Amino acid sequence: MSLERLAFLVWEYRDAFAAGVLITIQLSILGMLISLAGGLVLCLAGLSPTRILRWPASLLVEFFRNTPILVQVVWVHFALPELIGVKFSAFTSSVIALAMQSSGYLAEEYRAGIESIDRGQFEAAQSLGMTYPRLMRRIIIPQAAMRMLPGILNQFVTCFKSTSIVSVIAVPDLMYHAGLIVSATFLPMPIYTIVALMYFVMVLLVSWLVNVLARRLPSYSQFVRRPEAA
Amino acid sequence: MNLLELRAVDKFFGANHVLRGLDLDIEDGATVAILGPSGSGKSTLVRCINCLEKIQAGTITVGDTVIEPRGVRRGEHTLSARAIAKYRSSVGMVFQNFNLFPHMTTLANVIEAPIGVAKRPRAEVVAEALELLEKVNLADKADAYPATLSGGQQQRVAIVRSLMMQPRLMLFDEPTSALDPELTGEVLRVIRDLAIGGRTSIIVTHELEFAREVATKIVFMAEGRVVEQGPPEMVLDAPREQRTREFLRGFK
Repeated sequence: MSLERLAFLVWEYRDAFAAGVLITIQLSILGMLISLAGGLVLCLAGLSPTRILRWPASLLVEFFRNTPILVQVVWVHFALPELIGVKFSAFTSSVIALAMQSSGYLAEEYRAGIESIDRGQFEAAQSLGMTYPRLMRRIIIPQAAMRMLPGILNQFVTCFKSTSIVSVIAVPDLMYHAGLIVSATFLPMPIYTIVALMYFVMVLLVSWLVNVLARRLPSYSQFVRRPEAA
Repeated sequence: MNLLELRAVDKFFGANHVLRGLDLDIEDGATVAILGPSGSGKSTLVRCINCLEKIQAGTITVGDTVIEPRGVRRGEHTLSARAIAKYRSSVGMVFQNFNLFPHMTTLANVIEAPIGVAKRPRAEVVAEALELLEKVNLADKADAYPATLSGGQQQRVAIVRSLMMQPRLMLFDEPTSALDPELTGEVLRVIRDLAIGGRTSIIVTHELEFAREVATKIVFMAEGRVVEQGPPEMVLDAPREQRTREFLRGFK
């Protein structure tokens, strides 16, 4: 199989590949956006001094983290509707499952970031009269956010890769389209190689983009002790 | 009149009995220096007054606020978390390790609570902050981040940050212990000239000469109890207790 032939295949099925890539990107961005907020809610509830918030939050986090994404996708699509009486499209089910999984991991990521902040910061904020929500919002989370950035990036990449599982409930993502093309061409080797390369390149692009953005954040350099410190 | 009364206060850290039935009265307007060997419970004492630590027995009365093992009350009314936060804002605290907020400039550190907690108008708070920073010789550092300041400068900012809340009681928990010796002077000057100023203050310190200079009362603590207390010339120059004499001998 020559490179030319590979290029030809990509060109031949460009519409299918593009449609698949688009769905994959939509799934990962939606899943990630929801879990960035969902993870924070779970994390704060889990750290809360109030027990009725802490217990359910911890339980959900453990459930989300300790069940396979494949099981979550299938469960949300086929089991959850029977429990709550609302049926989701395959796409919606996938977004929910991806957001669940990522929320669980991000909650842990946030918690580690918050717990890495020196106790003195909590105490200084408390002694100035700040309530718990205010000291979290103004003092702790802004500092923790800087330390969480690498973990959040990692989770984004994981979420992106996890989207490939949604083809099992017939969401037409990149992997699903690849399956269709293989059935039409009987060429599994080149098609799946192309798909692997596509995922690889997209993950590299995402990592690179996030790194560039992170370095441009004005606050990123503020914690660094400057050499001319008196 | 006493602003602060501690009665039979017990504090445990696990099995470690840190405060042992401690009694102490502090008059309104007094400047009290607390001396004592490390592990005697000095820091724990001021942290309990500020509700940063819970007590296991006894009462701490600050004005009309009563701190007890099961909570904080005013009269028969138990204070909510919000009300406890409000109480804390009336008690200034200066920490050994400064604890400035590293993601904020000097000015932002100092105006954060007056604007966010006390809800005072921003322009007024900024003007007052700049005036106080000027008084501690840090007006030119208003836009600097804490990481670029020396320890002495950081501690002066931390003192200004506390004063901005106009506390009726100031607590200093070994304010110069983390500083290089040549930097303690500038911080002690600020405490003396700016922070105390007729305001009730409690200073946990190892600086005997400073204590002698500013304190109206010296409290010597050991093993979680008040061993001896009185005016500086009494406790420092003519201590009655053997334990106090031993401690003071260590400084000569």
